[in-house]
Parts: sequence; structure tokens; C-alpha cells
Amino acid sequence: MKKTFLSLCLAIVSGAVLQAQPSFTAPPPSKAVVPGADTRRAAYDQRIDEALAWRSGQVNLAKPASLDPTAIAAKLVRHEDVAACSARVIELMKEGGSGPFWMFPSVCLAYTGRDSLSAEAKAAIREAWRTNMQLRGDTENHWAMYYTSLYLMSELYPNDPAESWYTGKSSAESLAESREYLIHWMDLMTTVGQGEFNPTGYITEYAIPMLYLATWARDPAMRMRGRMTLDWLFADLAANTLNGVLRGPHARTTENPVMERWNDQASFYSWLLFGNTPPPANYAGFGLYFAVAARNYELPEVIYRIAVDRGPDYVQRDLKRSRRRWRYSDVLMAPIYKTSYMRRDYAVGSFQGGRADPIQTHVWDVSWTVADPRGAHSTLFSVHPYSSPEDMQTSFTAYPEPMIPNLASEGKPSYDAPDKILGASPYEQVFQDLDTIVALYDIPPGMRYPHVNAFLSRDLVDRTEDPSGWIFARGGNAYLAYRPLAGYTLAPFQGYKQQPSKAGYKWERIATGDTLLQSPHLKNGSIVQAASVSEFPSFAAFKAAILALPLEFQLEPVPTVKMKTLRGKDVVVTYGQTPVVDGHPVDYTKWKLFEGPYLNAEKGSRCLTITHGHLKRVLDFNHLSITDSVTP
Amino acid sequence: MTSPRLPLLLLGLLAGAASAASAAPSHDLYICAAVNKGYVIGSKIVTVNGLFRRGATGEWQHLGYNDTSVRAVDFDPRNHAVIYTAANNGCWRSLDGGQHWRITTSWDMTEPLDVTIDPHAPDTVYLALPDGIAVSPDRGQTWPRRESGLPERGKYTQVVEVDRTQGGRVLAGCESGIYLTTNGAESWTRVLPTDTTVDDIKQSPHDPRLWLAVTQSNGAWISRDGGLSWKQLAGVPSAHALYNVAFDPLHPSRLAIGSWTLGVLTSEDGGATWTARNAGIPDPHKVWRIAVDPDSGSLYASVVGEALYSSEDFGRTWKRGGLEASTVNAFLFLPVSTP
Repeated sequence: MKKTFLSLCLAIVSGAVLQAQPSFTAPPPSKAVVPGADTRRAAYDQRIDEALAWRSGQVNLAKPASLDPTAIAAKLVRHEDVAACSARVIELMKEGGSGPFWMFPSVCLAYTGRDSLSAEAKAAIREAWRTNMQLRGDTENHWAMYYTSLYLMSELYPNDPAESWYTGKSSAESLAESREYLIHWMDLMTTVGQGEFNPTGYITEYAIPMLYLATWARDPAMRMRGRMTLDWLFADLAANTLNGVLRGPHARTTENPVMERWNDQASFYSWLLFGNTPPPANYAGFGLYFAVAARNYELPEVIYRIAVDRGPDYVQRDLKRSRRRWRYSDVLMAPIYKTSYMRRDYAVGSFQGGRADPIQTHVWDVSWTVADPRGAHSTLFSVHPYSSPEDMQTSFTAYPEPMIPNLASEGKPSYDAPDKILGASPYEQVFQDLDTIVALYDIPPGMRYPHVNAFLSRDLVDRTEDPSGWIFARGGNAYLAYRPLAGYTLAPFQGYKQQPSKAGYKWERIATGDTLLQSPHLKNGSIVQAASVSEFPSFAAFKAAILALPLEFQLEPVPTVKMKTLRGKDVVVTYGQTPVVDGHPVDYTKWKLFEGPYLNAEKGSRCLTITHGHLKRVLDFNHLSITDSVTP
Repeated sequence: MTSPRLPLLLLGLLAGAASAASAAPSHDLYICAAVNKGYVIGSKIVTVNGLFRRGATGEWQHLGYNDTSVRAVDFDPRNHAVIYTAANNGCWRSLDGGQHWRITTSWDMTEPLDVTIDPHAPDTVYLALPDGIAVSPDRGQTWPRRESGLPERGKYTQVVEVDRTQGGRVLAGCESGIYLTTNGAESWTRVLPTDTTVDDIKQSPHDPRLWLAVTQSNGAWISRDGGLSWKQLAGVPSAHALYNVAFDPLHPSRLAIGSWTLGVLTSEDGGATWTARNAGIPDPHKVWRIAVDPDSGSLYASVVGEALYSSEDFGRTWKRGGLEASTVNAFLFLPVSTP
């Protein structure tokens, strides 16, 4: 999440009043399914009201800085202090902005204040779009915000000439360009997969613009596209959460949510839409931009049920794609094969294929459910701490040397840290079958960090290092077995705490109470197996079951594992080779866009079928149609 | 658009620059600069960035938008009021000396790295893109891609340089080497393969057949036959990325190279031997761009996030010379237009 002066204002204003956020401070919400549509809707509206009332209530009109764009938007939709809002909009627009993080808030004000802001305030917004150049940015979320904002402003002022916009293009020209890009992006998503998939934070940077399109686009087709894309995103969110907490892997996440799974934007959406987890502090800040227009979205029951009304354990396999690779790569976007195995007590997720993002990817983990996710570090995984300026150049139009020194001040503090737990490596290959993970590492000599890190949570219970080499532990109601394939040391893990800063980001390293396992061997690997506590009469029985399973591995010449999984699969995984399960090589070419009990889509289809029980919804981007049905 | 808030903003003085004292320089100096440490998309811009012109007394005057991302600039030789810049949003064009601007490209071309006008056909504009090369035949009205002969992958293009002696003859520095076209980019031929990106290519102001190129990991190269064949300069290290290269317009034997790690490398014998000259430049050097003033002979070095440095003795000594906290992406010495 990038920092904006707007979000900074929000953080400053709201940071000291957490007690006024009922759902944030209350016990975790009930996980019970709410069967009635009216009751669900009422609860949804109540949550919207809670967020907006809180934000509005933080404002001290005697302190204009407290009236930031989210507060103004909250007040406008609540019909409060409109004159003060107008005056403040005029002031805020004098500062202009520098890109998509200014654009979508200003669009939010323009539309929420369409019928209430003063003529002068509306003119100030419009004038700011003439005088302030807006950077388009360099990521998909930037572009989603940028082009949605440009689209909606062009529609709001449809006949304005080129010289009245910072682009130097007329409303009609910008509208056409924006539409073309947005359709192109939706085409990519619905044919070869999402780019910034399953993001803990960046979900908000897609959800907000899509909601704005669904709410405010004048063109019915674009309004429909916004609505369908929201359904698509939220169906994916629902299928990847357990009790409202998003599970891995992630194309992009950040240093803290990779540990504290709940603490990011995705949980705001789970709270708002599904009602099954607390919202993050301050309603995730940016979430308020969604809340102001959220009444215009109706979560389909089929998606709601996927999130809260789980049946048997399930595997969901999806096709995704990497970030655009400008150079030093054979492909512009690499295909990514994502697997999620969801059980009541835990989730196991991973992806195979290309690295999704050069900095913020989280490739695999086991994460377990807890009664209250706030503050819980309910996850286990390993990673090769890869750091390479040349690799960064693949994705960025930059020279090699300056990138890494600048990352910390740009909000990515751990990229070049030897103890980092965030990021992907080209020297890691991951295989998953149900709740078994085999991650193999073949790190060339000379790599900046020639070791493997594993994250051992402070929340693990009864962690023991067995003489066999397995590390056993319990996380929530999950038994976990973790097998490092080479020697290691254990040390306290140091996390990152953001410090106040007027220029760029600043960070402090802090002890989190977790443990970092470091294995200083180039040929390396990790095996994880998990099971529910209810499957075994005791922890000892689980250990015995793991130890009884055949396991052979060797690290030279390349790491290879031959094993029987807890679920009875015979698995052979060799670095650089296609994994073999029960004698059959895994065929990734047959991977579908979505395949599972809830979400199904063929590659290239532009059509997603969402099912739960008797409920079915088909999102067909070929015909821009939504078809709901109930099977007998 | 108009840029009403930053019209020719006085930014600072290039203290000590000999050129400022020159009575009648024959060139105007334009730079593309970011004057903003720690900027990231979304953060507040608190300084003035983008395109600047050095005024008569050495002050920097801002033109156009406050844009941290401007990488390159070029001017129509027939009419200097026609300006093109390469920036994050694409290729911007002004037809009135920077008062109004338009993004001439669409969503499908982003983050161009260089823009160059063919002086023999000034309606023709070349654009270096992260995914290839586009050429506008009509002053930026349209931007067809011109990539025949470039590899499907490997066409990340850092720099395009037009041969001033022959219209339609252009050298492009890509991630896989140097490519040459002699037919206005209808087709390209690789004239030098490289392992990594060619960061800069320059044509000698003294001998149009003499070209220099620097690369990320393959050192520096010289061509004496108009770019058809290339020879590596033995005296230039290849262990570190070289960012750009400059000829001294006043002294044919003087050459300079800028490098993040190595700082400023100079040669005074036409490239046979090279010397690191960083006395007065911070360590680590972080030299981003270098250039030689064609009027004064001053050697300039932009040190990332620090300042613009100048040397009056071709790098033997340096002085910190204004533009505090700046990073200059491009220098352009434009012949003073005659009315």
C-alpha cells in the first residue's frame, strides 16, 4: 500500500481513538450463517453505517485537517456539515496530487458530492484535474485506479475540451482510452488470470475502483463490468478465506500481514461483506472509500455462502499470471499455478510457475484458524531470501544500483534483508498436494543470501525438534510437521514497525516473539504436513503417523524428495523436474482458470461459474451477463 | 492543459557555472530532473520536478507540469516551441513552448525511456519503450510500432539516437544489443550483441562516423564507421553499470562516462585510456548523468538525490553547483534559435 497525504491525514486523525470502533474492539463476530437476505442486508448496511459514523465522528470542524477526503465523503453520504465539506474540498484541491492515490479520492468526492457540494467546491475538483498532472504509475493496481478515475471524471464532464484536462485530451478521448484499457485488463483477468492475485492489501485498490464503476459509470456496459468484476474479486476472496481471514499464497503482501494474517485490507472486506471477522483498525483506512459507496453493491448470496457456509474440505486450483516483465525474461507474463487446500482448521496454499512479483510475493504457507485472529501469527512457511538488482530490472525501468537502497524508503523494508520472510526466489520450487508442501531450493553459489529462512510462529504450541529431523508443533487445532532438509539454527525473529516520517518510510526492527529458522545450505528444502487435531487421538499419535511414513531425500546433485504423504500419496519431487504423484507427472498445461467446488472457469473463457449448494451464478464477460440459478 | 502554477519557476542558481557568466551562449541548456528524494507513487510532491531551462543568469526555470518522471526531451529543430518529453505517462508534446501539453500516446505505451526527433524529417519522432520502439510520422499524432528485426523478447529499449547526417538512420540501445535502422525503422539489424541493456549511445559532434555506447554489464564500446561495427574500449571496466556517455564538443579527444559505482570516468585521448575523476563528488558516487557544455566546456555530473556538480577542468575538481536533492535524467543543449 502506498502512502498518500490523504491516508496520512487519515492515520493521524484516527490513530488515537480506536475505542470508538465497535467491531474492531468487540469480540470476534459470530461465524453463524445468516440465512435471510433481508437480515444479511440489514447487517451489511449496519456495518457500513458503523464505519461511516466512526469516520464522521472523528472530525473536529475546528481542525480542518481532520476533515480529510474520507471524512468528507462520509459526511456527504450522511448529509452532515455540507458547507464545511465544501470549504474543505476547495482547500484540499489546492494541493493537487500526484497519481492514482489522489485521483480516486477526488472522484469519490466529485460523485458523492455531486448533489450537495457547492458549485465552487465542484469547480475546485474539476480545476484540479486541469492543473495537476497525474502519474499513471507502474502497477496494475495503479492503472485500475487511474483509468477508472479518468473514466468517471470524463463521464462526469463529457463534453469538455482537451485543454481543460491535464492529459491534453478531450473528455471523449480520455473516456475512450480508459474504456479500452479497463476492458483490456478485464480481458486479461478473465482469460489468463489475475495479476496481483489474492492480495492482502491491494484488494482495496481494485475493489474501490470497481465499486465506483459499478455505482457511477453512466455507460450501462461499464457499470455492468464494474459489478461483474467486483463479484469476481469477492468470489475469489470468499474462496480463499477461512473465517474471514485471507490465506496464502499472495502475489503481493507486506511484512506484517505475512505474519499476522488478519491484519490487512482484505479483512475489512471480509468484515463488511461476510461479517465473519473483525475489521482492521480504522476500517483499514482505505476501506472507507469503499464504504461510502458500498450501499450500491449487493453481495450475491452464493458468494456469501462460500465465505461462511463451508462444506467438506476442498482444493481450489487457479491460473494466475505474473507481473509484467519488461526485460531479461522469455515471457511478458509468466503463468502461475495456484493451489489452495481449505479445511476447517487450517489452509495450505502455494503456487508453482513464475514468480508473481519481484518484491512482495508470498509463495506458500500453512495457516491455521484461531478464535480471534487479531494479533495472531498463525502461519508457517519457508523462503529463500532472494535479493537481486538485476532481477528487479525485469519488472522496472530502472538501473540496477539505485533500486535496492531506495526500497526501504518506498515502503518495502525487508527486500534486501538476510532475515526476510517476504518474497520469492527463482531458486525455490514448490509442490503441493492437499496438505503436503515440498519446497526445494537449489541456490547457486555467489547468491547474496545463501540460506533458507523459515518462520516459526510464536503461536505454535508444543514445538519440539524430534531426533528424526522433524519439527512438530500445534497451531490452533492443526497438527504441523515441518522437516528442514538441511541443518539450521534458530534465532529470535525481528519484524518491522513503521515510524513517523515526513519523507518516505522509516522502519524500526522489533522483536515479535517469533522464531527464525535459518539453514545455511545452498541445496535445501522444506517439507510440511498438516492435519486436524480431531484426526488423531493425540499429538503423539500424529507424530508417530508422520514418522511412520516412508521418506527419502537427497540434496546432491539437486534436491529430491521421495515420500508418502499423510494422505497416502506417493510423491516424487526433484528440483528442476516435473513433480510426480502416484506415478503420474503433474500436468500444469491442463490447469484451468478456476477449478474447484465453488469457482470454475476454463482458460480463455471470460466466464466464471460460482456455485454453492443449489446456488449458481455465472459471470459471463463475453455477453456482459450475470445469470443466477437455483438447481433443484 | 496549461501549467498555471509553475510558470517558469525560479528554482535555484547553478552557482559557479561558467556558462552562467557567458555573455552569449550559443545553446540553451534544458534538463529533465526529479528534485524529490524518496518519492513513490502516491506520496506528496513537495518540490518542483520535470523540465527546466537554464536562464541567462544561471537560474533554473521550470516548464510544464510538476512531473517526477520525465526521462528525456527533444525539440523540433524548425520550431523550438514544439517539445516532446518521455515520462511515466507516455510521450508528452507541447506545441507552444511548454504552455500546453498533451499525452500523445495511449495506454498501450508506457514509461518511455527516450524520445528523439529526426532532424532531417522533424515530423518523425522515435520513442524508446520498455517493450520496443514506436515511431510517429506525424508529430505524435499516431504512434505505430516499428520493431521489425527486433527480437520478440529482448527489445527493451533504453535509448534511440538519430544519425544527424542521414535521415532515417537511427541506433537503438536495447537489452540485447545495439540495433541499426537505415530506413526510418522499417527494419532493424543488430550491430552489437550484448548480455544486458545498452544504457546510452552518442554520436560524436566532431566526427559523425564516431559513436560511443555504454552498457550495463558489457563495458563501453566505440564505433568508427557510423555504428556498423563496434570495438570494446579496453580501459573502461565492465564490472559495473555505465549509465551514460558524453563527448566534449570543444575537444575532440575528450570523452566522459557516468556510472553509479565508478563515478565519472574521463578520457583525453579519444578513449585509449581512462581515468576516474571524482575529487569533490560524494562517495558513493551515484553519478546518474554527465554532460559537457558546448559553450563553456564545463563538465556536469548529476549525483542522485544530491545535486548537480560541475567541473571546469574536465573532472579533475568538482564543485557542488545547485539543484539540491536533484537527479537529472537528461541534459539537452539546444542551439539558440534564430528569430
